Amino acid sequence: MTSIGTGYDLLNSIFSPDGRNFQVEYAVKAVENGGTSIGIRAKDGVVLAVEKIIGSKLLKPGANKRIATVDEHAGVVYSGMVPDGRHFVDRARDEAQSWRQTLKTPIPTSELASRMGSYLQAYTMYGSVRPFGITAIVGGVDGSGDEVIDGVVGSGPSTGAGGKVDGKHGGPFLYVIEPSGQYWGYYGAATGKGRQAAKAELEKLDLAAGNITLEQAVKEAAKIIYNAHKDNKDKDFELEMSWISGVDGPTGGRHMEVPQELKEEAERLARAEDESDDEEDEKKDEKMEE
Amino acid sequence: MFRNNYDNDAVTFSPQGRIFQIEYSEEAVKQGSVVVGIASKKHVVLCAIKRNAEELSSYQKKLFAIDEHCGIAIAGLTSDARVLSNFMKQQALGHRLTYGRAMPVASLVDEIGTKAQINTQMYGKRPYGVGLLVAGVDEDGTHLFEFKPSGMTEELVGCAIGARSQMARTYLEKNIDAFADASKEELIKHGLQALHETLVQDKELTIDNTAVGVTGFKEGSKNKAEPFKLYEAAEVKQWLDAISESKEGNEGEGMDVDE
Amino acid sequence: MDHRPQAWGRPRDDVYGAYDHSFMNTNSHPNQHTQQPLVTGTSVLAVKYKDGVVIAADNLGSYGSFARFTDVKRLHTFQDTSVVGFSGDISDMQYITRHLHQKSIEESYASSSANKKSRLSAANLHTYLSKMLYRRRSKMDPLWNHMLVVGFDDDEKPFVGSADLLGTTFTAPTLATGIGSMLAQPLLRTYAGTDEEAAERTKEEAIKVIQECMKVLFYRDARSQETYSLAVVSREGVEMKTSEKLENMSWAFADRIKGYGTQTV
Repeated sequence: MTSIGTGYDLLNSIFSPDGRNFQVEYAVKAVENGGTSIGIRAKDGVVLAVEKIIGSKLLKPGANKRIATVDEHAGVVYSGMVPDGRHFVDRARDEAQSWRQTLKTPIPTSELASRMGSYLQAYTMYGSVRPFGITAIVGGVDGSGDEVIDGVVGSGPSTGAGGKVDGKHGGPFLYVIEPSGQYWGYYGAATGKGRQAAKAELEKLDLAAGNITLEQAVKEAAKIIYNAHKDNKDKDFELEMSWISGVDGPTGGRHMEVPQELKEEAERLARAEDESDDEEDEKKDEKMEE
Repeated sequence: MFRNNYDNDAVTFSPQGRIFQIEYSEEAVKQGSVVVGIASKKHVVLCAIKRNAEELSSYQKKLFAIDEHCGIAIAGLTSDARVLSNFMKQQALGHRLTYGRAMPVASLVDEIGTKAQINTQMYGKRPYGVGLLVAGVDEDGTHLFEFKPSGMTEELVGCAIGARSQMARTYLEKNIDAFADASKEELIKHGLQALHETLVQDKELTIDNTAVGVTGFKEGSKNKAEPFKLYEAAEVKQWLDAISESKEGNEGEGMDVDE
Repeated sequence: MDHRPQAWGRPRDDVYGAYDHSFMNTNSHPNQHTQQPLVTGTSVLAVKYKDGVVIAADNLGSYGSFARFTDVKRLHTFQDTSVVGFSGDISDMQYITRHLHQKSIEESYASSSANKKSRLSAANLHTYLSKMLYRRRSKMDPLWNHMLVVGFDDDEKPFVGSADLLGTTFTAPTLATGIGSMLAQPLLRTYAGTDEEAAERTKEEAIKVIQECMKVLFYRDARSQETYSLAVVSREGVEMKTSEKLENMSWAFADRIKGYGTQTV
């Protein structure tokens, strides 16, 4: 790496002569070593999934959760330095809470992503801090109807309230936020060690067409994580998945862990696919040998 | 003076995305004497080897009660541990006052994790130089957490940190299947066995250098905590005797004893 | 004309006389906080039965003696395990429910699994609310409510607790706030005077005594209303009904009442 030894990479917030902030680039390296995280924006909800590498046999199975609830309707998963991820989640919860306090409505996912983008950006601006060593995937389903505010007090007029705009409101959203503070909206997102393989699989799904249902997305997510783990086979892992549907869907608009039954089904399918792939590979190998 | 340019402070990433100051702080944990923790379904035990600075000095305490339902074991800088344990005591007590219940152990551990992470992201601060094992019980059952200077916290069924703790962890991994249904006595013995594994030649566990802490659920109760109890000096004799007997009894059964 | 910056935006001394600086001086008059509730809700009733608790309150928000809002829901569910019933100031109720909503979101951080019940029991919630009320009264700025918190305690036994604007708390097998504490509580005690008696009552019996008491209150409480909310909290969750109506009322006794108002005979 050309940066090393120039001195321009020793402090956050400074530019090198060719206009780069090396400390941010190094933070990205921390992300690239982390377990793979993915997010899928299906037509009726969002799925988040993460490959948790089991570093020790002594870890309590199923106990160390990596996907966090930020608000009722929004969740976060991240790859990279886990304590930094916790910091990110704490801040995201504060943002969601302060939004609720001032506007009495859940924070739109786009707004949450924007605020967290600004927060991470601030950590690239000063020599007194370091950038976050994580890339976060933020998923949420924004409400499409009217929210009940402060319970029901008086009926008010039954029609024509407060200048509501016709057309589509709310729906599922997915954003990825990088250590630099840059963020984009995605249909399918992947970060961490197995991101390349995961992205390739996500692209095959043609998510932009909006044909994939939430339940299908859960199964695809499991497959993708199993697939992305292939390059890291010597280590055990645990799959963790969460989902958010619309108000009329299975989670009632809330961010929740994927129910045990569905998760097991998804993992069964993922393993089956895994094995059949292996068989194919073996066949190919045999042919090659021939 | 420094090993490289990237290890001066906790706010500089190395080109590989590592932060050396955090890694060095975790070395400080390895300087501390060893502590072991194990959780069963009903109990959590902490066992520790205490050190004395010299022959005539007292032994440094390693186990501390945080609240009725929760205690910690420390390895590393004792003074840093005091900051954290005072903080934990305040949090746990505050929770009891406002909600009238014991603070869930996971929330308590999250609080110190968050606190420690801040020290790894700001210039002029340093990471804590101490690792903790947090043992506790709440409505969700028994819990054992490891806390690291990086702010990382993980829940485990058994853990050991401190000098030569790898030996203890190996012992725990070997016996992991026995823990879930073990009785309190069995759990303590496993803990002391694991401690014993870490000893260098001609060192022994004695009533002076060994401490045991236990919390768990009261007999026949699903959610009533048995207050965290510390056993020291003569109180640990029974278990020390028991493990030295069993060692003599079945020599070479997965335990290489230096004798 | 006075052109000094200090005089900008003020009435001209030569026209209105010297400016009264004491107007902005906060030391010249006492600092005032809430002195009275404005829009109010009347009594809340709650009784234990063997498998849970029944709680009720009518849907009226009174503005003094004016029946201002007729569909105010005064029972609030917390995480499908507890219910809080509010009497007193409606805007303070809204403030507290908003706060409780945030609390329940915070609770969900710890676990987002669908099959996990709340870990903050009604008893914990009652402690929390009473601390909040006491803190506010100690700042001489009370939240003007008297509320009943119902659900289960840490031993999973039915729980009914009261907390008021002074921070006073107590628990009992049956409780009522406001005028209900005088008119309904004696009747409720005939239903169950002790926890042991309450543990023998069925859900149907509990609902019945609540309905009877709501009737008595509607006969006599001038700040009450016919439509009310009724919630049953059991181990299965909360069953909330928000538009119950009092049945089989008879006002036949009314014309025999003497001695009030303008009657002369």
